[in-house]
Amino acid sequence: MSSVAFEAINWNRPTSELAQVFWDQQWKQIWFPEEVAVSKDIKQWQSFEHQDTYKKVFGGLTLLDTLQTNVGMNEISRHVTDLQEKAVLTVFGSFEAIHAKSYSYIFTTLCKNDEIDEVFKWVQENEFLQYKAKKITDIYESIEAGDDASLWKAMFASVMLESFLFYSGFFYPLYLGGQGTLRNSAEVISLILRDESIHGVAIGFFAQQLFAKLPQQKQEELTVWGYELLLDLYQNEMKYTEDVYAGTNVADDVKVYVRYNANKALMNIGLEPMFPEEEVNPIVMNGIANTGSTYDFFSQKGATYAVAKVAPITDATFDFSDKGLK
Amino acid sequence: MKPYVKLNNDVLQRYRATGDIARHVDEEALQQYLQHEIAPRYRTYTTPVERLNALVEEGYYERDFLMQYTPEFIASLYEQAKGYNFQFETFMSASKFFDSYAMKSRDDAEILEMYEDRYIVLALYLAQGDEQLAKAAIDALFTAYQPATPTTLNSGKQARGELVSCFKLSMDDTMNSIAKNIGYCLELSRLGGGVGVNLTDLRPLGDPIKHIDNRASGVMPVAKLLENSFSYSNQLGQRNGSGVVYLNIFHRDIENFISSKKPNADEKIRLATLSTGVVIPSVFFELMKRDEDIALFSPYDIYREYGKRMSELSITDMYDELLNNDNIRKLKYINARKLYTDIKKAQFESGYPFEIFDDNVNDAHALKGIGRVKMSNLCTEILQYMETSVITDETEENEYGVDVSCNLGSIDIHAATKHAHFEQLVDTSMRLLTAVSTMTTIKNVPSIVKGNHAMHAVGLGAMNLHGHLVANGIRYGSEDAIAFTDVFMEAMNYYSLKSSMRIAKERGETFDQFEKSTYASGEYFEQYINKEMPQLNDAVKQAIGSIPVITADMWQQLKSDVQQHGLFHAYRLAVAPTGSISYIRSCTASIAPITEQVEVRDYADSRTIYPMPFLTAENAHMYEEAYTIDAYKLIDMYAAAQKHVDQGISMTLYVTDQWTTEQLARVYIYAWMKGIKSVYYVRQRLIAIEECVACQV
Repeated sequence: MSSVAFEAINWNRPTSELAQVFWDQQWKQIWFPEEVAVSKDIKQWQSFEHQDTYKKVFGGLTLLDTLQTNVGMNEISRHVTDLQEKAVLTVFGSFEAIHAKSYSYIFTTLCKNDEIDEVFKWVQENEFLQYKAKKITDIYESIEAGDDASLWKAMFASVMLESFLFYSGFFYPLYLGGQGTLRNSAEVISLILRDESIHGVAIGFFAQQLFAKLPQQKQEELTVWGYELLLDLYQNEMKYTEDVYAGTNVADDVKVYVRYNANKALMNIGLEPMFPEEEVNPIVMNGIANTGSTYDFFSQKGATYAVAKVAPITDATFDFSDKGLK
Repeated sequence: MKPYVKLNNDVLQRYRATGDIARHVDEEALQQYLQHEIAPRYRTYTTPVERLNALVEEGYYERDFLMQYTPEFIASLYEQAKGYNFQFETFMSASKFFDSYAMKSRDDAEILEMYEDRYIVLALYLAQGDEQLAKAAIDALFTAYQPATPTTLNSGKQARGELVSCFKLSMDDTMNSIAKNIGYCLELSRLGGGVGVNLTDLRPLGDPIKHIDNRASGVMPVAKLLENSFSYSNQLGQRNGSGVVYLNIFHRDIENFISSKKPNADEKIRLATLSTGVVIPSVFFELMKRDEDIALFSPYDIYREYGKRMSELSITDMYDELLNNDNIRKLKYINARKLYTDIKKAQFESGYPFEIFDDNVNDAHALKGIGRVKMSNLCTEILQYMETSVITDETEENEYGVDVSCNLGSIDIHAATKHAHFEQLVDTSMRLLTAVSTMTTIKNVPSIVKGNHAMHAVGLGAMNLHGHLVANGIRYGSEDAIAFTDVFMEAMNYYSLKSSMRIAKERGETFDQFEKSTYASGEYFEQYINKEMPQLNDAVKQAIGSIPVITADMWQQLKSDVQQHGLFHAYRLAVAPTGSISYIRSCTASIAPITEQVEVRDYADSRTIYPMPFLTAENAHMYEEAYTIDAYKLIDMYAAAQKHVDQGISMTLYVTDQWTTEQLARVYIYAWMKGIKSVYYVRQRLIAIEECVACQV
């Protein structure tokens, strides 16, 4: 007979500040890739000049989301002690799975099978991509039970992934979509972004709570570790960008965008930004803003419908005496 | 990357960062675009007439309409047009025009039309050789009148789609009718139209076929067939076909119908691209108010018992009879409040279904002595009576009923208030719409030909209301705004009636069965000849500008003129949503509030940034966005306009994710009580994570 009593999750008593908020927000924005008519991009795709770059960008993103589903969210959620936070992280993990699948949906729609196989082979062979995957995975897998510092490190790595490393890839569809090229694929990306930005904020927030409980010496040590990791990943990311975007002349713009997002990631986790402020290409910035763009009823699905809050109709619903109606 | 795209995007970035509306940056984007993208591609000629001749020779323009005019007259129209000195005001306007409206060479390399070229061809084409009308058309088109997209886009071109955009069909409860109507949908969709189909008369899932129970598949599979037809037939790939299906809320299949648009609906019934609308009789609201159950019926029973289709009856009048008649099955009872909550839920999650308030529509219907309005169209502003065709076997003649095609146009309210002759402006607009109606024959859909021929229906609407109000320092939804809308729309109604009467007199022809209408009986005019003159304050007077305020005496005179000469058009007014077409003219859309001060507009092929017309740093504080405007005030605005509009007004409601289904239901109920005829989309702004968490973290 075990002496440990199993505890049931009780949403009635908030145990984590904001867990409910993150939960609600994530479910409100549920979506499925099949709702976006990517097939409308096929015609443009056939004459698109930089198919190779585009495919690699999506290959890279697929790998990162796969990691985040299979390792990241699972490991972090396993070690987080708060039951509500665990639940939120599990939900996030499901969305990561939708993301990873949605890249395949785009691939399947635009590319032939042998092309797709080739991209997945490239993913396995690209040294920079493999480097960041390994770096992050190692941190995820080194969480020790009961050790808050190692858990914080994993959260830090997760925020780096979601708020920083993804963006060298997100850049391209947003940049093209903003100029009217492959707009529907860009719409899928903007839906993914909408989720990743909650994940970044939420995990950053949980990490900050954890951080605050650590002794000051540990905090300083972790801060140094964090900046070192970021710098390491950053240098790799610059090389990755050069490699993937070779031949497109947007690599410099991508780098600016990567630095901008590195700063955002640091702010999510509660640390000072590291890179000087630069002007990001406005086309890409407009693609990332999370408010709904105006919906053209004859075009794509709008990215702005969400789950309803149900409340019953009562007698009071029909009382318009305040509006001067009987 | 194209530098003007970057500049245009810069406008939004600056606005987000500093709240500053960088018009000069957008202006620079516009200039760069015109200089580097458009000018080098524009094919030039020495004179306009030479240009027209060359383009006729190459098969770009039709020859016949140009032959109706002398070269001298055409040249003089170009001079006249030049006098209006048209300039694009924003990058958005120019890029939309050149992307979507200007004629290009077949290889897409050359631009063959500037703005003036397109609108002059439009005037020449629609005036059909009438020089006086052509001149008046130039004046109207270059000041305040804008025909709908299909007319603007297609007029005068050799390779073109139809001039009308909007159709309504009624489907009957027979396989012949279903098959025929699917064929019509393919045909109309090929021509670029949006098609509304009434499904209310189809027997529901599980109904008998040839008296054998449980055989019918219901309305959803038919809706799926329609959806696939619209996707397939897409106007040379230019625009995806679009359609909407309507169902009465008392129809047995209503529950499946409502869930069909939800993203997580069963794939068998899920409608991805077809729009849906529900027809709601007042008795539904009464039952809901009393918290009662409603009975769901089968049109099959109704037809067998009464010899009438379900959509041909007023369910409000017949509800008790249907309940008490044992030959009418009560297929299911469902709580009205619960059903309506489900509808609100679906609207939050998908924007659908649209709603048509059946009795508000039919009580105000001037042709109620002729027939019922059963449904609406794709944008919920067309509300016309229809008669179901009887489609027989191939060996027999079909009995064609009356279906609907409607051509639309809009008056720019701001420009209209500055126009010296509002009466003439409305008259010209009506004549140009009439031309479209008489020039159109949708030969493969006989019921539409018949309807068009009998009704000459048109739909004149308005746009730029919000822009105009702000330009005059009036807030959308305020008492002054409501007063202005009331006076303006009344003048539109008056002058469109007067124009229709005059055209009937000139042609010696009225619409079919005019004598049975409330125009002929005079009942229609009661609300006006007994009215009191509104007391208007200075702000409203200033906003009204040169538009005459119509008096009871004027109405009295018009009443007797109409009774004497009749009306040419069975339907005259309808306010469409006007998307891109208003942007070309730098107008705010329809009579709707703006949704964002600086808008990001996604089309299938581009993303552009559009600062709203008249927006300045000084008036930004009063240029309220739709999501922050009190929904009840918005409805008051539409109700003020609706009183004067014989058909409908496309009204979108705006909610945020903070709303509950109950709050949304309440707004709809209010709209129904205020006499609103139809509600178009529910649009939701999801409050972004930055907004909802940033204030807490």
